[in-house]
Amino acid sequence: MTTTARIVRTLGLAATVATFACAPTQSSTTAPGELAPAPPRTTSTPLTPPVRAGASVLVQGGRVMTATGVILDEGDVLVVDGIIQEVGENLSAPEGVTIVDARGKTVTPGLIDTHSHMGVYASPGLRAHSDGNEAVAPTTPYARAQDGYWPQDPQIPWAVAGGVTAAQILPGSANLIGGRSTVVKFYPHVRSAAAAHFPGAPDGMKMACGENPKRVYGDKGGPQTRMGNVAGHRQAFEDGKNYLRTLRQYEEEVEKYARGEREEAPEPIERNFGLETIAGVIDGDIFVHNHCYRADEMLIMMSLAKEYGFTIRSFHHAVEAYKIAPELAAAGTAVSIWADWWGFKAEAFDGIRENAALVFLGGARPIIHSDSAIGIQRLNQEAAKAMYAGRRIGVEISEDDALRWITSNAAWALGVEDVAGTLSAGKMGDVVIWNTTPFSVYAKAEQVFIEGTLVYDRSDPARQPSTDFSVGWDLSSTEGGNER
Amino acid sequence: MSNIHTTILGRGLRLLTLSVACVTAATHPAHAGSPDTREAPADAHVFVVGGMVHVGDGQILSNATVEIQGTKVVAIHEAYTLANVPSDARTIDASGKVVTPGIIGADTSLGLLEIEMEASTRDQSRSDESIVRAGYQPSTAINADSSLLQIQAVEGVTSAAVAPSGGLLSGQVAWIDLLQGAHEDIVFAPSVAVDGRLGQTVAGSRAATIAALRKTLQDARVLRSRGSAYERRQLRDLAADAADLEALFPVLDGKIPLTLTANRTSDLLAAVGLAKEFNIKLVLLGGAEAWKVRDVLAEAGVIVVVQPSSNLPQSFESLGSRLENAALLYEAGVKVGIAVLGDTHNVRNARQEAGIAASYGLPRDAAIAAVTQVIAEAYGMQESHGSLQPGKIANLVVWSGDPLELSSWPEAVIIRGAPIPLISRQSKLRDRYLERLRAQ
Repeated sequence: MTTTARIVRTLGLAATVATFACAPTQSSTTAPGELAPAPPRTTSTPLTPPVRAGASVLVQGGRVMTATGVILDEGDVLVVDGIIQEVGENLSAPEGVTIVDARGKTVTPGLIDTHSHMGVYASPGLRAHSDGNEAVAPTTPYARAQDGYWPQDPQIPWAVAGGVTAAQILPGSANLIGGRSTVVKFYPHVRSAAAAHFPGAPDGMKMACGENPKRVYGDKGGPQTRMGNVAGHRQAFEDGKNYLRTLRQYEEEVEKYARGEREEAPEPIERNFGLETIAGVIDGDIFVHNHCYRADEMLIMMSLAKEYGFTIRSFHHAVEAYKIAPELAAAGTAVSIWADWWGFKAEAFDGIRENAALVFLGGARPIIHSDSAIGIQRLNQEAAKAMYAGRRIGVEISEDDALRWITSNAAWALGVEDVAGTLSAGKMGDVVIWNTTPFSVYAKAEQVFIEGTLVYDRSDPARQPSTDFSVGWDLSSTEGGNER
Repeated sequence: MSNIHTTILGRGLRLLTLSVACVTAATHPAHAGSPDTREAPADAHVFVVGGMVHVGDGQILSNATVEIQGTKVVAIHEAYTLANVPSDARTIDASGKVVTPGIIGADTSLGLLEIEMEASTRDQSRSDESIVRAGYQPSTAINADSSLLQIQAVEGVTSAAVAPSGGLLSGQVAWIDLLQGAHEDIVFAPSVAVDGRLGQTVAGSRAATIAALRKTLQDARVLRSRGSAYERRQLRDLAADAADLEALFPVLDGKIPLTLTANRTSDLLAAVGLAKEFNIKLVLLGGAEAWKVRDVLAEAGVIVVVQPSSNLPQSFESLGSRLENAALLYEAGVKVGIAVLGDTHNVRNARQEAGIAASYGLPRDAAIAAVTQVIAEAYGMQESHGSLQPGKIANLVVWSGDPLELSSWPEAVIIRGAPIPLISRQSKLRDRYLERLRAQ
């Protein structure tokens, strides 16, 4: 319990520090009241998730796959007040803690998808629901997925039924810089993006290489070529760098003023939300998630990132990642990839089933992502296909390794690895109970817990996927009474 | 090639893939990615010995041997051992394995498509003014060198219905066996069905679409009965070009089916109504809401081909989508096929789709039939394809285990009697980089 509380507080504190790390004057000076504060450079509007009391549960006797390298054949997971207190054998439940019998079942951390457009490309796929691409200009770093996110998208509870407890919601890939992503947890009873926000998760910035920006802007003033794409990326970072310089100069003047070294307060600089996002990337507070298929383009983007002093956190789709696994490993850049999508466009033509396995063999960090509201329901099966494809060519991949492709590696890419992605004491109590090994076509999530709260139960009619939209079409259905 | 096959089949899968890759690369450097596959010669004699054989007619034999002569299955033997195999025949040891008819892709663009977003690599669609393109026969454009063919074949897909797209009636469906590189052999039959699409295809309205289809079928009838009047130019204007209407004669005669993509309940019922009115064989593709009218579909004897993973209300024509669709149809007595619809690059995932249907209530054997025998029947090809009964084309797969399970893999794939090399453009790409990584 005490451990729990400390972890939560640490998390909150870490987030706070990160928020202001780039603006030291905020905390170190006692600036006069009329001074405009330096513009923040991370989450542009603070998201305050509602206070939620985590629940407590003891999941007992299952095959516990921790995603830390340890698999307990018959183990227990104890969640107290939303946080995992202990993972081990023969644990006893503190008084009042619900006990769930998981004998004969498999227990894993909640799955995490690094690439989803749920909420911004909701179902039904109406024109009115198209909120993922601010395709008015190739560079729109000011746009934020959280502002387009519809938490009542009927696709979302189906992802939960597939064992997914958190995901990154990204803008689309029409633009070179599409805007900020947001990391959400699939809490029940959510009616706002703020309430869905993964506590403490940094924003991401969505970038895109290759065919999509070319196709969308080729006839609208460009970019028309990959040359134009990279020039656009470089210009954006140059602008961001200059903005950051101006900001720092302003901060220095503020400090001088505070120390009495100048008489008048400096003129506040004009706030630019887009450049704030890029400045946040250069400062390392915002993670770059870069849609990029071809090996050559990924190499260009890694070198551009190096030039501007940041690291691309994850390439997305990356169907040619297997061609540059050592380079990805050296850069510390993860890849979020599909098990087997290929060929739908030229840059996806060299896709192979063994992409994840070869990335893994090369020492880099593979993640299986969905980019699909159908695929997200079976991330476990996608990881299974990738794992078995690797094993068939002799790459040694354990089930724990493959599980990390959809849990802890994803948590790392989203900057939440300290609080999610494994079954370990101190992490959030996001737990899935499966009917069998998750690496089977017959695998089904039977119960899903988010921070100890049961949010899905396959056998309970009151806990089936349901949103406001899904109510009332079939009047013979009992659906509607269980608000989600 | 034949001694390579023998070597391969005598060993484990891993050795197989790599050794064949090396040999082929060395002998055919100019054709990397195009393994030579062709149908078996008439004197080829192959025995697939001792597997659990899904015959495809309902029988599952726990220890049976499939005897193949030339391109066809000639016998299924029970209580047969390796020692029984004649000395001049090839042996494939399937003991402990599962043998099924090859998977058949429904409503694919195989051979007509290389890269979806590049029009220069696509031949599925005759893009003209008319919405009735029934006369369009894409079989002549099927490219036996397409990389997609072998990429599906090594995963157990041995045949496919190749359907055109676009318009109300898109054209004629060809039937192929997936023999990559076999330009003369690949098309088994050029015209096994006429394909079309309901929904808001015509004038932005479902009702207009149904009306246009009815008028087209009526005019095809008129043309057939009054052909000489047409020749003398004594006939009113018809709904479409004569060639496109003539292509519907076999449909009106019940010789080949009309395959229609339709999802909303109202469209499914309208399609069944038209099929009754014109007495035609109807197959429904998609069928997102088919479970709602399963009794009507069962009574009409309509085969429905679904994609089980499609469970989201992705549009207002498929609000009723659900994971139990296949199982509910099956329980009601509808013949249900399963396919990956709209993603020709991954026709190979049909077996995963079948597995998903099985985990949502479809009996496992019915799920296997749904990607083999039922698809053959949907396209009227059950006399030659979809099962391993004697006399049928020898298209079959030896699986390492449960064919629906993700851990299973084809250990041998036989197409028209010939075991194909288990390599593809993808496996060759893989091996290039695998070797580099291993060397580091």
